[in-house]
This record gives sequence, structure tokens and C-alpha cells, in this order.
Amino acid sequence: MKYVDEYRDAELGRALSIEIAAAVQPGRHYKIMEVCGGHTHAIYKYGIDDLLPDNVELVHGPGCPVCVIPMGRVDDGIALAREPGVIFTCFGDMLRIPGSTESLQDAKAGGADVRMVYSPLDALRIARSEPDRHVVFFAIGFETTAPSTALTLKRAKAEGIENFSVMCSHVTIVPPLKALLESPDLRLDGFVGPGHVATIVGARPFEFIPADYGKPVVISGFEPLDVLQSILMILRQIEGGEARVENQYKRVVPQEGNLRALEALAEVFVLRPHFEWRGLGFISQSALALSDAYADFDSERRFVVPGVRVADPKACQCGEVLKGVIKPWECKVFGTACTPEHAIGTCMVSPEGACAAYYNYGRFAREKVVV
Amino acid sequence: MTDAPVCITCGDVAVPMRVVATGGEDGLADCVTEDGDAAEVDVALIDAVTAGDAVLVHACVAIQRLETEAVA
Repeated sequence: MKYVDEYRDAELGRALSIEIAAAVQPGRHYKIMEVCGGHTHAIYKYGIDDLLPDNVELVHGPGCPVCVIPMGRVDDGIALAREPGVIFTCFGDMLRIPGSTESLQDAKAGGADVRMVYSPLDALRIARSEPDRHVVFFAIGFETTAPSTALTLKRAKAEGIENFSVMCSHVTIVPPLKALLESPDLRLDGFVGPGHVATIVGARPFEFIPADYGKPVVISGFEPLDVLQSILMILRQIEGGEARVENQYKRVVPQEGNLRALEALAEVFVLRPHFEWRGLGFISQSALALSDAYADFDSERRFVVPGVRVADPKACQCGEVLKGVIKPWECKVFGTACTPEHAIGTCMVSPEGACAAYYNYGRFAREKVVV
Repeated sequence: MTDAPVCITCGDVAVPMRVVATGGEDGLADCVTEDGDAAEVDVALIDAVTAGDAVLVHACVAIQRLETEAVA
């Protein structure tokens, strides 16, 4: 397939690896955060970290929307799922995420009508076909996913559908990056930027990172050579004393983003004053709620939602993993009490979670493979 | 597309698909991946598509057009 095969070429990968080795100073340590779970997945699937010099460290960021949903929000969803007459719909990703006492999957086993959907429109179709029930869609995801919810809500409004609402838990990528940059725990030298979030929002929202913090950002594709090339571009900026936003993924990401998607987002959503992120705490203006024009479709206005706050389990260190402070295998329960089959933390449940990526690709410690 | 071992909602999972037919129910386009997985895709966020066009799809919404050669 064009744009896939040539971005997985092993020889080109080795050539990039040599260029990367030549670009770094031996005595310096470079800490680069890949913001997205999709990049984390690619790095371990293709062994990209084994192609890097020892002094180039990849740190995994908070870009997995499942991983950052706090337990209390799951409990709120379960409370809605138990409302009489409600059909609670969500992406399959959310079913196994642990709440304080159970998951949505457990609630379904206990009798709640919880159904997995592949898109918000699937949830709307259920609402059309079951007019005597109320269908709630648990909307999660970053700016890449939010337009799908926005289009569905516009459709529901145009059709005058009254038995459909959204429990909006969409989040935005820039505020947690700001929070990480302000964190004293972490000293980052650059960012592998989120390619498909940028397809929606464009490159401009990331310009504060070089402007305010002096760190380079390279918006990257997801094939192994994309990621290697992005790392090389970041290192060259660092060594050249530069800091700017570069777009490695030009074959997909327009500089200005997707204007139609941005218009739909602006119509349907407003920024929440604050939102709780797992491991990161409350972050200002980091999530979306429905605008007043869509108030009738807001599950949190139509039902009494408990607004539960639950501390993460003590043994779980997802917060430190999401902030990149520790590697997954440094967590006390990684691979023992916490596995993909019996996950304690969200980072192990989601396939894009850093813990699941390490576990699934056998990275129980950072042992380099000589390539 | 739906059987992929990744999360739909991962902000960065998007799948190249080819448009097979347009004007379906809800104005959706029938699309197919290179592996033959089919999905109905909302194409409201991109310029009008016709059969044969390649698109990048996330959560059943086309978020970008691709060069036609991007999907075999």
C-alpha cells in the first residue's frame, strides 16, 4: 500500500538510525515525549527504541483518551446506565475500564443495558429504532473523535430526536501538554506531536510549546519511518539551537487543520472550566461540554449525574506513567497484579496505553536489542 | 476496520479506506479498507467524494482525503 510499505522499509530505518546516532552529542541526554498512544504502540510494535542511541529516551505522554478517564467518571457512567429505561452506549474501549467497584462490562452483566457501538451514529440509530427508551452515548476521545460526536448531534437536532443524549467526556490535547511542561517532575527536550489530532486542529495550537517553552514539536505520522524521521527532526532542531513546530506528516496534516470539523466543534461544544484527568488531576479548560444550543442532548443536564470523585488505587501508578515520570515496568504491579486480562490501571486496559504496549510487546524492562 | 486490535478512540487511530459508493442511508459513503473491511462513513467534513476516492477514517468519519494511490 502506498504510504505504508515505503514507511516500513528496514534499510531506510537503519539509515535513519545512523543519522540519528550522528545527530546527537555523546555526553548529552535527550528526553523526547511521544504524546499519542498510537505512537507508543508503533514504537514498541516495530522496536523503534532499539534503533535509538542509549542517550535518546522516549517518554510516553497522556494521549490515550481511555487511560485519562478518571474512575469517578466511569462510576458516573454506570449510574446513568442503571437509570430506568436507559440504553447506555459506548465504544468497546470503555467497557473494561475499572470504576471504583466495577466496570461497565460488570454493570452489563448485572442487568444494565450497556451496548458497544463503533460510532456515535450507531448510538443514534439505536435511539431511532427504540423510541420508548433513552439512549445515552458515553463520548470520549480527543479532537480527532469529537467531530464524530458533533456531526451526530447535529443530525439528531435536525431530525428532532428527543430520546438521545451524550455524556460528554471529550478532552483536548493542549492543556495537559501545558500541565506537563509546567511539571517539575519532568524535563522534556521535545515532542513527537499527534498526527491525527493535528489533522483536525492544524499545527497552530502547538506553537506555544516552542514559543513559550523553547521546545521543538514535530507532528508525526504513525509508520515506523515516520516516527524515526520525526525523532531525527527533533534532534536536529535541538542541536541547531532551534525550537519550532514542524510537520513531518504533510501527506495528511494540513497546516490549518480541518475547517469544517472545527466549525462543527465550535457549534456543538464549549470548553469546560475544568476536568479531572486520571493521574494529572483537574486541568483548566481541558475538556468539552455541550453548548447551550445542544443542552437538550446533554445527559448531564437531563439526568442527575452523581459527579463521583474516586482516588486511584494505591498500588496503581498510572498517573506517573501518564506523566512520563516512570516507565510502565517500573510500576509496582506491572505484569504481576496488573495485566491486560486483569487490569488495575487504565494504561493496561487500553491497547494504546503505555503499559499494554510494553506488556504486549514483551518489554518487561528496557533491555536494548542490538540491531 | 472494526476488528483492529486498537482503540477506536485513540486520537491517532485512523484508517485509510476507499470509497465504494456514495449517497447511502444518512448520506453516508460505503467504504472499504485494503483488507476488505467495510464501513459506512460520514463524509461531511471533506470535499465531495466519489467512488474510487481514498479517505482517512476515524470513528466512522472521514477526516481527510488521501491521494488515490494510498489505498490499493
